[in-house]
Amino acid sequence: MTARDGVSLEARGLTRVYRRGSEEIRALDGVSLTIRRGEFLSFMGPSGSGKTTLVNLLGCLDNPSEGELDLAGRSIFGGGKILGERDLTRIRREVFGYIFQNFYLIPTLTVRENVALPLAFYRKPGVEGEVERLLGMLGMEHRMDHLPGQISGGEMQRVAIARALVNRPEILLADEPTGNLDTKRSAEIGEILQELNRNAGLTIVMVTHNPGLARLGGRLIEMRDGRAYES
Amino acid sequence: MRVKARFLVYVLFALLMLFSVAVVQAFAAVGCDLNDPDRDVARLFPDSTGYRTTYASIDKRGGEPLLRRVETRLGERFHGIYETIDVPYTIYAIYNGKRKVGYIHGVNQKGQFGGIQVFVALDMEGRIKSFYIQKMTSQWAKKLRGSRFGRQFTGLTLKDFEPYDPVTGKGSGKVAEIRNPAPEAETDFRAALRAVKKNLILMDEFVYATGEGKP
Amino acid sequence: MISRFQIAYKNLLRKKTRTLLTLVGIMLSSWVLVSLLGFNRGYEQALNRDIDNMGYQLMVMAKGCPYEAATMMLQGGTGLRYIEQSMVDSIVDKPEVDKVTPILMQAFFDPNKGDGGGIAGYFGIDPATFPAMKPFFRFRQGGWFRDDEAFEAVMGYEAAELEQREVGDMILVPEKNVQLKVVGILERTGTQDDGTIFAPLKTLQKISGIDKITTIGIKVKKDADSAKLEAALYQLPDVQVVSFTQVKETIMKLISTARVMVLSIAIIALLIAMVGVVNTILMSVLERKQEIGILKTMGAMPGDIFRLVWTETLILCASGGVAGIGLAFLFARLSDILVRRILPYAPGGELVAIDMRIACLTLAVIVVVGLLSGIYPAWQAGRVRPLESIRSEG
Repeated sequence: MTARDGVSLEARGLTRVYRRGSEEIRALDGVSLTIRRGEFLSFMGPSGSGKTTLVNLLGCLDNPSEGELDLAGRSIFGGGKILGERDLTRIRREVFGYIFQNFYLIPTLTVRENVALPLAFYRKPGVEGEVERLLGMLGMEHRMDHLPGQISGGEMQRVAIARALVNRPEILLADEPTGNLDTKRSAEIGEILQELNRNAGLTIVMVTHNPGLARLGGRLIEMRDGRAYES
Repeated sequence: MRVKARFLVYVLFALLMLFSVAVVQAFAAVGCDLNDPDRDVARLFPDSTGYRTTYASIDKRGGEPLLRRVETRLGERFHGIYETIDVPYTIYAIYNGKRKVGYIHGVNQKGQFGGIQVFVALDMEGRIKSFYIQKMTSQWAKKLRGSRFGRQFTGLTLKDFEPYDPVTGKGSGKVAEIRNPAPEAETDFRAALRAVKKNLILMDEFVYATGEGKP
Repeated sequence: MISRFQIAYKNLLRKKTRTLLTLVGIMLSSWVLVSLLGFNRGYEQALNRDIDNMGYQLMVMAKGCPYEAATMMLQGGTGLRYIEQSMVDSIVDKPEVDKVTPILMQAFFDPNKGDGGGIAGYFGIDPATFPAMKPFFRFRQGGWFRDDEAFEAVMGYEAAELEQREVGDMILVPEKNVQLKVVGILERTGTQDDGTIFAPLKTLQKISGIDKITTIGIKVKKDADSAKLEAALYQLPDVQVVSFTQVKETIMKLISTARVMVLSIAIIALLIAMVGVVNTILMSVLERKQEIGILKTMGAMPGDIFRLVWTETLILCASGGVAGIGLAFLFARLSDILVRRILPYAPGGELVAIDMRIACLTLAVIVVVGLLSGIYPAWQAGRVRPLESIRSEG
């Protein structure tokens, strides 16, 4: 996927409505925004503000009820089309890497095997050696044959980051990446993300409660009641 | 059709049953068990409460040296294809409660027309309490299996049988006083005496001399 | 690098006890299944072998109540039905007939065998024709009697062992008190002949005081029409014809009901084990919903997830199946002994004959059934949406 005018993601009027019985909940109400390549963007907001819903749509984890999304110029959502699991997966694996609050490493696989896991399902050409390189870069080369049960929380998140990056995605989606870490480790993760953004040109879209972390990126959007407010 | 086939199965089955004893003991050598131990133990030891069965054979208990010793004490070598070193001997140890009160032991002996199964019931000193022929093939079997003959063995011990020579059939002392109720069956009479002597010797070697013979 | 197979296999190791219990279930049901198939094969083989060992394939005997003859054997005495010896001549000329031999079966009561007495069974045979019917008989000592009126006997291995008889010894025919000299002792055959005493036909007739016979053994020419011969034999007066193929078929029919029942039980056991498998995999899928969602974010397609879970099912079934079959090989002897206790007529030789073909068949059945049962959990896993699994605030 090549970029056009340096724009990675363009969202127009994204809306997500949930039906619970007869009740209608507008988790997201007509959000539009543009994200450029190489940006580091953070979303903050209270519970229920829609930040996670928005990031899920941007990350092609879900279909919107209304609205359009373009990815590097190509239309993903819009014109009434609904993408199935397989199509969404194909898009996701080309473009995105994901990390979450709960790390989600597989406990019976070693660090090395966890990072290599995505390659079992899909491998971009030229990613040989990425596993070792990323683990080295993240300071985990001495833990490669350990199990997740044997490493700390901060280390687990680093492994998760390496795993998210092993297929050279263009965009990293981080949902509360430091939610389960203490201050010191949170700061470490923040530094790592900043470095990835600055030196590797990785576009990062992050959801966080942590104001310090949010400011790292340089672009902050606040969410309230399904709407986005940029400062 | 069905009826015929069933007949054949019955015939085969019946023949199988006829020789069921032999079939069961279809191992290297044939031993000598009581046909109905529960009934026979109760009959021979009326005040017993239970019994335990053990097996012994000459090759396992002492091998060639033991065989030589037994043959010397018997006064005759083991002969034939059935009197071999690996024959299993069944020894019943009889109990009253936790106390051992005696033993029952049987040996197979070649008789004139068939095998003779000779059992003796012994007390803890090795004295014969009862003498019992479980099986014998002869026109005069009734006499040798009768109580008049069997009574003559009560109270005798191995010592009494030591002077008996199975080769000549002659002896001295108490063993010479045993009368043959069936003179026409002299061979089987002598076979019975040999069987008892062998029986007592084996009991001495397997049980009384080893310390197992303690209550 | 990690392969999908390794992922599946390591997933099973996460709940070791659960995996082990499921494995044991499959192992047991596969053991039962393969032992049963082995028994089916072994029994038929052994039965065929026994019938071949009898030497003759057809028997002609007197028409009459069959139970009387059986009772005769069990209680000793009269009641036997006889046929005329001249019947042999009318049979020997038939084109399908290879060899013929007349046999007289008699039983005598011996009051001194045990405490209630017992039966001694004798076969009166024609030394000119009978040995040819049993070419595989081997002698431990001595040989057949040659004189067809001699007062001699040949004893089966176990009959001789019971009586401690050797060649040159005498035996006594009970009731009649006639002495016969032992001239031969046979080696073990593994059939009822081991317990039989053979005497010359004429001698036994003289002892019993009858000039008839009970049976005619017929060996059919190879490739001859046995059914046609049977039909012809039926024309003879007052006889019944017993064919061993018929006997075999009847015996097989007798136990076929038992076989079907036990086979059904084995299949039910297999299905129960499979329910265990489905339950195990389904539970682990439900427990791993979040993880499956994450795998999808890594680029795993629904098909990948389906295949991953299906592979777990395959590993469980294949391992359990192989373990069960291995166990069955090991315990084939034990199963043999157990089966003999239960069945009334058990032929000689190995009863539970498990070969590679049966083992592969059982494994195939288990794997196929397992894969079929595994479709539902695998499909459920494939359908998991990443979003359902990843829930964080807000």
